[in-house]
Amino acid sequence: MHVRLLIKIKEDIFGKLGLVLMALFIFSALILPFIFHDTESHSQTIFGPPSSGHILGTNDVGQDIFSRLIHGTRTSVFVAVGAGFLSTLISTFVGVSAGIIGGIYDKILMRLVDALLVIPTIVILILTASYINPGVWVLTLLISLLYWQGGARVIRSQTLSLKERMHISAARTFGAGRWYIIFRHIIPDLGPILVVSFIHRARMAVFMEAGLAFIGIADPLMISWGMMMHHALKFYYLPVWKWWLIPPGVALSLLIISFAFLGYSLEKVLEPRLRNA
Amino acid sequence: MLEISKLTVSYGGRKIIKELDLRLNKGKILSIVGESGTGKTTLAHSIMGLIKERSENGLIQGEILLDGNDINKMSKEELRIIRWSKLSLVFQNVEDALNPVYTILDQVKEPLLEKNDRESEAKAIYMLEMVGFPVHRAKAYPHQLSMGEKQKALIAMAFVCDPEVVILDEPTSAMDVISKESVIKLLKTLCKDRTALLITHDLTTAASLSDNMAILYGGCIVELAPTSLLLSEPGHPYSRGLIRSYPDMDRTKDLQGIKGTPEFIENGCPFHRRCTQSIDICKDKRPRLIAGNHPDRYIACHRGGIVPLLEVRGLVKSFGDFKAVDSVDLTLFEGETLTLVGESGAGKTTLAKTIMGLLEITDGEIYLEGEKMKGNAFHRRIQMIFQNPGESISHRLNIFEAVEEPLRIQGIGSKDDRFIAVRKVLSDVQLLTDDEFLKRYPHELSGGEAQRIVIARALVLNPKLIIADEPTSSLDASVQAKIMKLLNNIQEERGLSILFITHNIALARKISDRIAVMQSGKIVKRGSSSKILEDYYKTDDNHTILGS
Repeated sequence: MHVRLLIKIKEDIFGKLGLVLMALFIFSALILPFIFHDTESHSQTIFGPPSSGHILGTNDVGQDIFSRLIHGTRTSVFVAVGAGFLSTLISTFVGVSAGIIGGIYDKILMRLVDALLVIPTIVILILTASYINPGVWVLTLLISLLYWQGGARVIRSQTLSLKERMHISAARTFGAGRWYIIFRHIIPDLGPILVVSFIHRARMAVFMEAGLAFIGIADPLMISWGMMMHHALKFYYLPVWKWWLIPPGVALSLLIISFAFLGYSLEKVLEPRLRNA
Repeated sequence: MLEISKLTVSYGGRKIIKELDLRLNKGKILSIVGESGTGKTTLAHSIMGLIKERSENGLIQGEILLDGNDINKMSKEELRIIRWSKLSLVFQNVEDALNPVYTILDQVKEPLLEKNDRESEAKAIYMLEMVGFPVHRAKAYPHQLSMGEKQKALIAMAFVCDPEVVILDEPTSAMDVISKESVIKLLKTLCKDRTALLITHDLTTAASLSDNMAILYGGCIVELAPTSLLLSEPGHPYSRGLIRSYPDMDRTKDLQGIKGTPEFIENGCPFHRRCTQSIDICKDKRPRLIAGNHPDRYIACHRGGIVPLLEVRGLVKSFGDFKAVDSVDLTLFEGETLTLVGESGAGKTTLAKTIMGLLEITDGEIYLEGEKMKGNAFHRRIQMIFQNPGESISHRLNIFEAVEEPLRIQGIGSKDDRFIAVRKVLSDVQLLTDDEFLKRYPHELSGGEAQRIVIARALVLNPKLIIADEPTSSLDASVQAKIMKLLNNIQEERGLSILFITHNIALARKISDRIAVMQSGKIVKRGSSSKILEDYYKTDDNHTILGS
């Protein structure tokens, strides 16, 4: 099976939509913060409605809501990419090494995975976060450390099947060593699965980060959508919620939707039985 | 008795016969077999003492002892006396050997003329009768006779003086099967108490007429052995090549030739340029004829004849308590195809994978060219062709990358060298080599093309041994035919040994030198393919060969 992922995804309506949204978010995370850089200065007006100076008005201390929304995008995308990457990395390391080495090493790791799968990790996350009030980096690390087990299991079973494949046997008969097999064959062959796993972890990380910020146990200095909603909700009785609460909510939903669409479309592309004729 | 030692004959500085030693015993027929230009007729003529007379620049050295007297040292007169009476020759060229203006009878009695004319005529008639020549035509002229009759007349001429030593130079060439048979029968009886030397390129004649056989190549005897042994188990690569190129009712494998063309080689083994197992010493030093691996066999080869490439001794591979391969012994010679047949689950693929190092050995040893196999270093010399071509090429690699991979893993050559190597091997397997094709992916190829890619990939390391596990089972017959032909040609060119695994007996019959039958992890039968198949034909069901 040889699939050109990007081309196939573009043919799918969900994939296309997901890609467009994702591109938009990445653009606003990378470029826009340089234009709307003023997130801290307190203007004279508090709870100001949208105006030429403040597109979405100002918050309780007179900060520009739009700038904070843009910077929140950066946080969300960073956590998504960071945690998605890191947890996929851990899953890959654990899954591939367990699949290749096998034996007692495999058994120990898989029991650990079993344990992590049954423990409600969200509770651990909330408890830990409430103690340390994590910033972006720590939060990313924390999410990654707690959400690699599912991927590891899938990757391990795929590795087990892959290592018996004939082209891997063929490479071994050319004299290839273990490292060559892993890096030149198994990991590239796992590629599609890794991409899907990355997308799913990323989506979950966005949700987790927003959730933790929303319940107020993340670093209070962090600018994030969850944090914005957390603060905005305190002023639900004022008309300001329209441009303070709704925009981060919508942005969050759209980002999660774009990840979901991408994941859905990827699975469809990679699983031939789901492909339309 | 005739003894030749260190005979060297050269024409114009070119050695046609090189230090040849040979001993002919009474009552035995020795055949000298070789292709044209290897010096067969020169040898016959030098025994007859004809070299000096025939060619001015012919130079002859060494000894040819006939009952202790050296023919080379004899004067013309002495030679004249022993010729025909002690030493006679059945000439090769029927047309030229007979004088067109004398009758047959006159020519047959000519060697006897010193005696009384009537007596000699009676003897000539008797001789003609004995060889089955129609006596009423004894007064005919050669042009009035058929080829067979002329040949018989020549035989009568050679035997009429009751010689001790007879040299038969292609006595049956240009004859049809039936007259050939009768001539062979006749020669057999005539040569009973004589010393006879048969010179021929015809293996069938040599097989039915001679007791011992010597294979001549480039003026040297490369192998000397009892005829049946030499034909069934040739020891020298050239002998095998010659036998393989010769159509034979028993051999089932397709005809194969010998790579290259005969050329004149002054030093070193005369066969080294065409030999697939030659090493450095073969270039510089001419091997002597010495005792080979069988008590009656003599071989002139620095490597002691055809090398056993792969030796498997007492190999066991078990999965838990189940022995998938149970004490298997196997020897595969250089340039040979050995087919493993057996029903599914007999352990064929497990055996192949174990030899290949894909599975750990439970017990036993595997040697490749005499070295014990261990680790990855052997993969340059031993490669595998897998059953399903589509799966054995990674779908992520394009054709160039797939074929280049073994070279890259082994770290051979620069990128440019590898590019050249890949293109060469692709053209060897008759695939395209243009850039567009090299960039294609395996799923864009047909099954036959993909299998050829797999073969190319296995060949790119230039291995000595290929293990082919059902390489054609998923292919159409026409593609299968092409691929098998290709493998046969590569075997001819490079001396590739093939361990072929199949359950298709008909295919095994066409491609293998030997067949081994495997059943529940053991080799239950093995032998030359014709022998194994003989048993197969005798029985009604396939179970004898693919079962109990």
